Amino acid sequence: MRRTIAVALKGAALAGLTATLLGGTAIAAPVTVWIMGDSSANFDQLVAPFEAESGIDVETVAVPWDAIDQKLTTSVASGQGPDIVQIGLSKLRTFADAGALLPLDDLLGNYPGLAPENFADGVAGKATAVAGQIVSVPWISDTRVLFYRKDILEGAGIANPPATWDELRAAAKTLSERGEGQYGYYVPQWDSALPVVMTWDQGGDIVNAEGNIDFNTPAFAAAVDLYTGLHADGSVPKNGDFDQTQGFISGIAPMLVSGPYLAKAIAGAAPELDGKWGITTLPKAVTGTSLFAGSNLGVWFNTDQQDESLKLLEFLSKPATQLEWFKLNGELPTVKAALTDPALAADPLVQVYAAQLGDAKVLPMISNWDGGVGSDLLKALNSIVLAGADRTQALADLSAAAEGQTIN
Amino acid sequence: MNRRLAPYVFVGPAMLLLATFGVFPILVAAFVSLTNMNISGLARWSNVKFVGFANYTKLFRDPDFWQALWNTVFFVGVGVPAVVLLSLAVALLLNRSGGRFFKALRAFYFVPAITGIVAISLVWSYLYNTQFGLLNFLLTSVGLKPLQWLSDPWLAKFSVGLVAVWRGTGLNIIILLAALQGIPRDYLEAASLDGANAWQRTRFVTIPLLGYALFFVTVTTLIGWLQFFDEPFVLTKGGPLGTTTSVSLFIYKEGFQQSQFGYASAGSLVLFVVIAAVTLIQLRMRRRDIEY
Repeated sequence: MRRTIAVALKGAALAGLTATLLGGTAIAAPVTVWIMGDSSANFDQLVAPFEAESGIDVETVAVPWDAIDQKLTTSVASGQGPDIVQIGLSKLRTFADAGALLPLDDLLGNYPGLAPENFADGVAGKATAVAGQIVSVPWISDTRVLFYRKDILEGAGIANPPATWDELRAAAKTLSERGEGQYGYYVPQWDSALPVVMTWDQGGDIVNAEGNIDFNTPAFAAAVDLYTGLHADGSVPKNGDFDQTQGFISGIAPMLVSGPYLAKAIAGAAPELDGKWGITTLPKAVTGTSLFAGSNLGVWFNTDQQDESLKLLEFLSKPATQLEWFKLNGELPTVKAALTDPALAADPLVQVYAAQLGDAKVLPMISNWDGGVGSDLLKALNSIVLAGADRTQALADLSAAAEGQTIN
Repeated sequence: MNRRLAPYVFVGPAMLLLATFGVFPILVAAFVSLTNMNISGLARWSNVKFVGFANYTKLFRDPDFWQALWNTVFFVGVGVPAVVLLSLAVALLLNRSGGRFFKALRAFYFVPAITGIVAISLVWSYLYNTQFGLLNFLLTSVGLKPLQWLSDPWLAKFSVGLVAVWRGTGLNIIILLAALQGIPRDYLEAASLDGANAWQRTRFVTIPLLGYALFFVTVTTLIGWLQFFDEPFVLTKGGPLGTTTSVSLFIYKEGFQQSQFGYASAGSLVLFVVIAAVTLIQLRMRRRDIEY
């Protein structure tokens, strides 16, 4: 409290000083935005019209993805944060638990552009609420789709990409029988979302009705069957350093579930493959639900520019802004009106992503998915498929480790 | 200057540095380990609660911690003898001549010690790569099966350890070489006049005189391996299945990835006690220096 007052006083003094210097025109401090990755120049370009129109100065700071944990820790500890921060969905709970984000439930009503119904259902409003509170506004989206090599599948007598997970498992087995060192599918050993997606597709969830993490469900058991079955069939490489881009380009692993970044990597590394590969929505079991990844934007808890920040968020949530961002930075929108815009639908890849985003969910908002339940889940499954651990025991250990983890 | 005061003035600055950067952080960690400090505690001190020894009881029930502890024991058990013996052997061989070729070799052995760990790990992860690594290329070209250097739970331990041994010998070789060159020639000449052969001269004259250098090398190497971190962090991130997670890496994961500062502090206190105990035992066991 004392710090807030001190900051406010300092701010007031500073503003007063500038006002005197500039002969009466008060100039507000800029709204500072932390943007992940190296896209800050593009972001500056994106918000230029907003700055011109509203007179609010926006200052962009680029934060590298792997520095965000430390940056969060230091800024929470010092109380000195930005005004707006981009948060990867898997980190949202950590930010909220740290008290770094301003709860927005009571504020959103004043900004019609930020109404939850404007955004894709997978991330809108309560879908990304933490413990019942809305602490962020959707920004960009990202999802997982099925990548496949048309030429190789056809060569193995598979006319169409698999439409169900059973078909995928059978096709993967056929493809792995092409010879020594050939596989049909690739399971990244670091991808904790994949087993969850498989569980969703079996018609279940890893969160039960009370909001607790629950692995004792038939749907999860079916997902484990699928995960371990792919390995038992010899359809997937077992080395952890397998390179998915190289594996796909060389055809060693001609099918995998991945995101738009892989499409970019393939197009960049192997333009000669153009037309020989494709993407499609996830295979189904009961459903074909995929992962909704991406980033939201939150307002820092002690910002002194609340209204300016929310105005900026409203500007960023305009369909036109979101489409412009896709053009500038290649990241998909979260606003429904932008997702269905004909400008996006022109790109056949984006069409698939947009279709998949219509059936996609975020990972459960529990504290520390990546380091906690996510890594326990991977450890359990990989100990079965890589080290031959006893399945019953491994899953019992997993349930014990996840005990008490809740989205509430 | 007061004669009584003078020694304190001289050791004062060093003591101040030790207290600030050595003792004080340990005390802070000891205090934090008794709380539930996490990231929300950083934001508001009122969120921090005193939890007594709960972190420690949780730690000793955590299978991941025990795995990390046994991994560390394994790394120490294999790594320390390997580094010390290899350094000693190379230093003895290098000491046989001061020729230009041997001087070049000296530089060659020292290079790993001064090369950045990130560059080293990048090169080694390419060498170890299952699909297009040099090692597997060599294996397959002589008709052997390729190995999963960093993906096989057992082999990964040795692969990671090998890089650390390779990196760790450089400095120790130089230390031992310096000690070897400090041994007066007269002793060795006297021994050979008495009819001692090369092996006997090494075994009964050189090695006993290396006592202090060997002790120093062993203690620092042991502490280094107890705090083993860099190589698994950059090569495997502690995987596969946690088989290369050392205690330091475990602490890093709990503290800096999961923001469980209280819990991680408890882990580092345990590691501190282990290192202190091992070093004290070594100091106790050390016999007096041999002087001729």
